Amino acid sequence: MAEEAVISKFPNPFPRPKTNRGWISWVMTVDHKRIGTMYGITAFVFFLVGGIEALIMRLQLARADSDLVSPEVFNQLFTMHGTTMIFLVVMPIGAAFFNWMIPLMIGARDVAFPRLNAFSYWLFLSGGLFINLSFAFNAAPNAGWFGYANLTEVPYSLGDNTTFWLIGLQLLGVASLAAAFNFIITIINLRAPGMSFMKMPVFIWMSLIVQILLVLAFPVITVALIELQFDRLYGTNFFNPVAGGEPVFWQHMFWLFGHPEVYILILPAMGIVSEVLPTFSRKPLYGYPFVVMAGASIAFMGFFVWSHHMFTVGLGPAANAAFALSTMAIAIPTGVKIFNWIGTVWGGQVRLQTPMLFSLAFVALFIVGGLSGIAHASPPTDAQQQDTYFIVAHFHYVLFGGSMFGLFAGVYYWWPKFTGKRLGETLGKWHFWLMFIGMNITFFPMHWVGLDGMPRRIFTYPADSGWETINSWSTIGAFIIALSILLFIVNYFRTWRREPTYEADPWDGRTLEWSIPSPVPVYNFKEIPTVEYLDDWWAQKYPESVNAEPRERSPGQPAPAGAEDMLPLNGQDVSSYGASSYGDDEDHGIHLPDKSYYPLIAAVGFAFFGGSLMSAWWLTLIAGFIMMFGIMGWIFEPVNDPPPEEENPGGHPEGYSAEAGH
Amino acid sequence: MQILRSSSALKRFALLLTLLAPAILAACAPGGDQSTFDSAGPIAKDQENIFIFIFWLAVVVFVVVEAALIYSIFRFRQTRPDAEMPTQTHGNFKLEIAWTIAPVFVLVAIAVPTVTLIFDHEKGPVDGRVPENPLEINAVAHQWWFEFEYPGQDVITANELHIPIDRAVRVSLDSDDVIHSFWVPKLAGKVDMIPGDDNVMFIQADRVGTFIGQCAEFCGEAHANMRFRVVSHEPDDYEDWLDSMRRAPAPIVDNPLAEAGRTLFAQNCSTCHSTRTYEPLRAQGEREVQLGRQTLFRKAVKRDEEGIKTREGDLVTLISAPNLTHLAARQTFAAGIIELTEENLKKWIRDPDDIKQGNRMKDLAPIYNDPALWLSDEEVDQLAAYLMTLKPGPEEAVETAGTVEVDPIAQGREVFLNNGCSACHSTGADRVVGPGLSGLADKSSTDMIRESITDPGAVVTDGFPDGVMPGNFGSVISDNDLNALIQYLETLK
Repeated sequence: MAEEAVISKFPNPFPRPKTNRGWISWVMTVDHKRIGTMYGITAFVFFLVGGIEALIMRLQLARADSDLVSPEVFNQLFTMHGTTMIFLVVMPIGAAFFNWMIPLMIGARDVAFPRLNAFSYWLFLSGGLFINLSFAFNAAPNAGWFGYANLTEVPYSLGDNTTFWLIGLQLLGVASLAAAFNFIITIINLRAPGMSFMKMPVFIWMSLIVQILLVLAFPVITVALIELQFDRLYGTNFFNPVAGGEPVFWQHMFWLFGHPEVYILILPAMGIVSEVLPTFSRKPLYGYPFVVMAGASIAFMGFFVWSHHMFTVGLGPAANAAFALSTMAIAIPTGVKIFNWIGTVWGGQVRLQTPMLFSLAFVALFIVGGLSGIAHASPPTDAQQQDTYFIVAHFHYVLFGGSMFGLFAGVYYWWPKFTGKRLGETLGKWHFWLMFIGMNITFFPMHWVGLDGMPRRIFTYPADSGWETINSWSTIGAFIIALSILLFIVNYFRTWRREPTYEADPWDGRTLEWSIPSPVPVYNFKEIPTVEYLDDWWAQKYPESVNAEPRERSPGQPAPAGAEDMLPLNGQDVSSYGASSYGDDEDHGIHLPDKSYYPLIAAVGFAFFGGSLMSAWWLTLIAGFIMMFGIMGWIFEPVNDPPPEEENPGGHPEGYSAEAGH
Repeated sequence: MQILRSSSALKRFALLLTLLAPAILAACAPGGDQSTFDSAGPIAKDQENIFIFIFWLAVVVFVVVEAALIYSIFRFRQTRPDAEMPTQTHGNFKLEIAWTIAPVFVLVAIAVPTVTLIFDHEKGPVDGRVPENPLEINAVAHQWWFEFEYPGQDVITANELHIPIDRAVRVSLDSDDVIHSFWVPKLAGKVDMIPGDDNVMFIQADRVGTFIGQCAEFCGEAHANMRFRVVSHEPDDYEDWLDSMRRAPAPIVDNPLAEAGRTLFAQNCSTCHSTRTYEPLRAQGEREVQLGRQTLFRKAVKRDEEGIKTREGDLVTLISAPNLTHLAARQTFAAGIIELTEENLKKWIRDPDDIKQGNRMKDLAPIYNDPALWLSDEEVDQLAAYLMTLKPGPEEAVETAGTVEVDPIAQGREVFLNNGCSACHSTGADRVVGPGLSGLADKSSTDMIRESITDPGAVVTDGFPDGVMPGNFGSVISDNDLNALIQYLETLK
């Protein structure tokens, strides 16, 4: 056939990888679980990098008139700390959970576009490495994660620092957009039969909302980044006030992206907490439709509040008043969520295991961040607080006390599902309490020092400012947080060495992922489940909770408490994570998409292309060729190679093999 | 558990906290020099009050919600592993509506004073009334210092703003380079200083004192060290201060150190630093000079980007630099970060980077970059001694100025020194930044010399870049001085 002719003509220099072992199987993988794992590990490494940056800053600020680092280095540190923690840590840890959990919670075997998924990861990795590569050139971004024009224009930001940042963020933006479209389509199209929208787990709802935010917000920042890049590299004047450009326009575009971005960072954690609290209270989420709608309205309203980051810009009283009101209005759905979380715990059977501790701390700390947010929603008080440590305290309560605590709750909660064993509970509690105490020692005093007039982004302060004691406390707190993260790492390695327990449902969970073995087999669900209720797995285990007759269990699903069904299917060798879910697992008869190296080539070519814009034109040509090779190969590669006739085990299941027709 | 379950103990504890809270807050309220509490003016006072109002509302909400959370954790903690399944409640519609609406009341309570204050502060500092006779100030930010102009008063200062108490001050905010922010916590919240945008804010002080200000918008390498002072006076004292700013410094008599420093300053510093804005023409031209430098700076950097290297020495004429008129009368220097003493001045002149990293002087001034021009310790002493003489002279000095008959050639030499000409032009034949000026009379007519001073771009000597020499000497040098300058230049052989 004609199609086949095209396929065979496209140069295919390397054989398509088939192996399920070794590093090559990870690099070429299109499996959502492996990609999720890679997202998580990469983001955790970046978390350590961003954390070390923070610790150096805290050391510098521990004393007045300190000269540990130069102002230039300090500016690089806070720029990279912000950029790293937002784009390379919280967002990709979120992506790790989306990857792992969306298919498992909606009862699917993978995401809608597995190769696009791999491409997203590799481009995220390339973009993250590219931005950090700037350290090697002594040109790390130094103009803040917000990159305000016209400080970022050529006369005031010589060198390649800002260009690294601009191009790196564009690469990360493409990665995020590709992933967002993928997840939206996955959630809408691949839900298990019967799982209507209002029967989706809240985490899936929040994931869907986050993806929609990404799709709507990232194009705005991309336009701004491209315009600034043109200003810097090609002499345009979008933000150059001397030539009629408008630096404030950058701020509008940046925050029109930047505020939804805040919800991109917090909603995944809210979703996780909305799963953990019911599980560990043994009660359904209180007011499910209200929590869902509150999340949706927070996201919607998030697009109408951006100028509250700009109350001191001088937009005029009408604009300031309007944005003050819209900002205050966001407190309403946020409050609804908090009240419903408390309502979930109320009357339950609360088990204070590590995931629950992190989730409860999330609620407790998010309340503080929300209330300080109300303070600077009012422009007259914000005029004093804008660009001070009060703001630093506020958003660390939201993004560290909120997002990071929520994400850690998810790590402890789903770890048994990822690996077949729980993270150590004792070390987990130490981790939690140290992180909780350290977090409050670090960030609570910042409210005070901000009200005492200490501006942000200053590398030093005079001894007579009266800020020294408070700053020393914050530094001590930061090291307590660092210690807690160290304990997490110790916990990780100790757990790594332990024998898996293969508990499929260690927490008595509610959602579909707990109905399949731990660790998850490569095909997830042997048989796609049929959903009748919200929290369907809970309803299956406790039919009385939904006043239903016990259902006949699908043959592929283990009984809830039966030990014999806790073992992975097919009775394979279960000595390690890799073997148990990816080992000699080829006889399951379920057709999964084949591995591919094209996403990697396309992503690396893309990153190389971006970076080459900073150097010679011929490099751009080479990079463009690599990128196009990756994309064209990807287009012409069938999802699955046609299997040899004789080995075809009884035809293809519907789905992935459509293009491979002979 | 037992204690927490005992509701009477809880209630007593809560009551105690509520009663003690104001005392705790009063004791703990930040009290530093830059604190947003203990405000010294009506705007800051309004802002402080609304914050305290929001703070107490937040405390109430915080206590109620956190208490509910903590109570529910302890009250409903699973005690036995075989505990009965809790009632599977899915929600309560009425409760949902209630806690959707309840926060609205809290928010309205905050929104009403918020919106009122937004519109009030737009009109004026007190009770939303338009002030009758506000003091007008033009504040211009530079990387990394503040310039304050008193329009119509022929007064310009750097990093120190003097205002009378109990009078509205209308500050027009601008920037010559990037975005900065004007913030004096004791007087008012911050407003950004944006290049090309005309932001306006009011400040007003209700007590005499010195208030620290600081740039609040990240603006580059030395952002942390970009501070200033606002000094508030009784109205009469303020008028005295304003008058003093328009008087020339006392002539240097019997002070060879300062005398030598004056010559050094003229040759090495005066290109960028003005010291004579007590003269009306010069005060009016100062803004133009700073803007001109900024434009040239941008162009020079642009040329660099295009691969045409600007000669190192040329950049020196392009950086904005604080006005040093009556420097010795100020409390601090280097953008308000160090006390003004002769010793500190010497330290600064020796190595400005040691005090304020990132400053442009160290980067660009030839005395730090051209080994031939490095200053000796003795020269540093001379410069510092001269700078310490820069303060308003006695009142009679105003009358004598201008009335004394002087030799026009000597006057022209003074003009040459005082306007920074010597920083770029040698009086011999050698090239510094611009061409050497010896034998000028043989090459050019009087009119051509005049044109080259007032309109440097009209004819550019071969081999020298256009656009380096400031274009506004015609407006900052009086006709009398200009004629004297030309006469002096024509004597150069």
